[in-house]
Amino acid sequence: MIEARRISKFFSIVNDDRTAEGFTVLNSVSLRIESGSFVSLLGPSGCGKSTFLEILSGLQAPSDGQVWIDDKLVLEPLPATRKDMEEYRKKYRFLSPIANSLFRDNPKHDIAMIFQDYAVFPWMTSRQNVLFTLKLRGVHKSEREGAAAHYLRLVGLTGSENKYPSQLSGGMRQRLALARALSVEPRIILMDEPFAAVDALTRERLQEDLLRLWQETKKTIVLVTHDVDEAVYLSDEVVVFSPLPGSIRNKVTVDIPRPRRRSSPEIREIKERLLAMYRYDTVHESDYSI
Amino acid sequence: MSVDSIINDSASSRRGLRWWNLLVRELGVFLRASFGSVFSREFLTVLIPLLILWEALPRLGIVPRTLVPPPSAVVSTFRDMVVDLNMAEHLSSSATRFGAGFLLALVTAFPIGVLMGWNLFIRKHALPLFQILAPVPPPAWVPITIILFGVGLPMQIFLIFLGVFYPILFNTYQGIKETDPRYLASARVFGASEFTLITRVYIWHALGSVIMGIKIGIALGLIMLVIAEMYGGRSGIGWLLLEAKEYFQIDRMVVCMVMLGFIGWFLIEVMKYIELKLAVWRIGR
Repeated sequence: MIEARRISKFFSIVNDDRTAEGFTVLNSVSLRIESGSFVSLLGPSGCGKSTFLEILSGLQAPSDGQVWIDDKLVLEPLPATRKDMEEYRKKYRFLSPIANSLFRDNPKHDIAMIFQDYAVFPWMTSRQNVLFTLKLRGVHKSEREGAAAHYLRLVGLTGSENKYPSQLSGGMRQRLALARALSVEPRIILMDEPFAAVDALTRERLQEDLLRLWQETKKTIVLVTHDVDEAVYLSDEVVVFSPLPGSIRNKVTVDIPRPRRRSSPEIREIKERLLAMYRYDTVHESDYSI
Repeated sequence: MSVDSIINDSASSRRGLRWWNLLVRELGVFLRASFGSVFSREFLTVLIPLLILWEALPRLGIVPRTLVPPPSAVVSTFRDMVVDLNMAEHLSSSATRFGAGFLLALVTAFPIGVLMGWNLFIRKHALPLFQILAPVPPPAWVPITIILFGVGLPMQIFLIFLGVFYPILFNTYQGIKETDPRYLASARVFGASEFTLITRVYIWHALGSVIMGIKIGIALGLIMLVIAEMYGGRSGIGWLLLEAKEYFQIDRMVVCMVMLGFIGWFLIEVMKYIELKLAVWRIGR
């Protein structure tokens, strides 16, 4: 179970005339995601949902609030008082708080993350990419080869083991990222607009594959997307983010039995509702700015 | 003889053959890449007229022959030098100095560059020092080096080290610092330790600029080799050059210069080959 408690994120910007300005990306976002569910975070581009996902994974520290994954705190929040700040600085003066330990590989909270632009290592072949994460997970050397072949088969990359990512198509690279994520046997997979950069046909196939894998393995999946169709078709629950500063606008439960049809009237109805909400937001934009 | 042993036999002999084939093939790749670009048809149409011009101008008396030795004279002088002056010895002593200085610079500059690029704390403490020291032209170190180390091998190695050190250091540092944060983030999520990040992500991402730094380092190192040998010692190509100057033997000077040029070119080609082998993944692009 993932629990985000009143997550806020501020940046300070220094303007050209040397005045500082606060910039709120996330405004007190609380969210609870049950184990084994498929949740989509839906919102327009640049509404802080990617930032929220990075905070969930521990890649960014929230300015305020805490993230708990299975009753474990992901990152300690930034200090509030000056005295705490000094201590915090002192503690992390050598390594930043988001860094792992210096020499020991330890997978944290069984999270895997898939990035929008794949972020598979271009200097490793598909096989080496998966072997690398298996090594991080601590799989014994003799079992790694077999396991790598297994995960590559799972996403349908058999035959491209020895190709470098630059030789793969966009969809195949995304599959490789998925294989790499699955190879750590995570309980939670965080996906940051994973299908945004592939063509429509490939996207549908990848979505089907993702659904199949999710139903087989029963992992928790959190999907960030700006595509309403994708969110409604795939997920159990759609969390709608408002435009900046990002906060939760609404939650829509999609209780349509699976397997779903993309063009079924129930799906279309939910889609209409979400789009109407969007339209309302853009018309009444001033209501949401502070 | 059983079928098994026959298969094993042929496998082992094939392995022996494969090793040999691999060496020949790699040598072929290297030679094609390096000499291929010099002896390509396109460049030969430039090179041959240039050589003819160089040969003809002194012979026709357009430029004084005593000042510009034609290529034929250079070649015959080279042959004489190999026999009379024990060229191999000079070459090997130059190579020793250069190799020692270069290796010393590589094993110090590369780790320091990696550490400075990786960690802000280290960077803030160490970088300003190098930024102040680097602009001092390496030849300016010659007088103080001679006083500190005396004339001899340590002084020469140190001067070559100075030439090679900074290019490798700054290029490594830049390359590591500019590592794409996406790759770091993706490895961090999977729980990679900082050490793993350095060995599996940072270094590979920075490979291109590290090799660029080594190439610049080779060029500067050769400059420092000549300077170091001119100031001390009685061997090496730089010393031969100085000696030729004392006796006004222009043909010998030209031989030394051509040899230095060839060595520099060859070392750069070796680096290109190493880059080709290490960065296989870039070929597909």
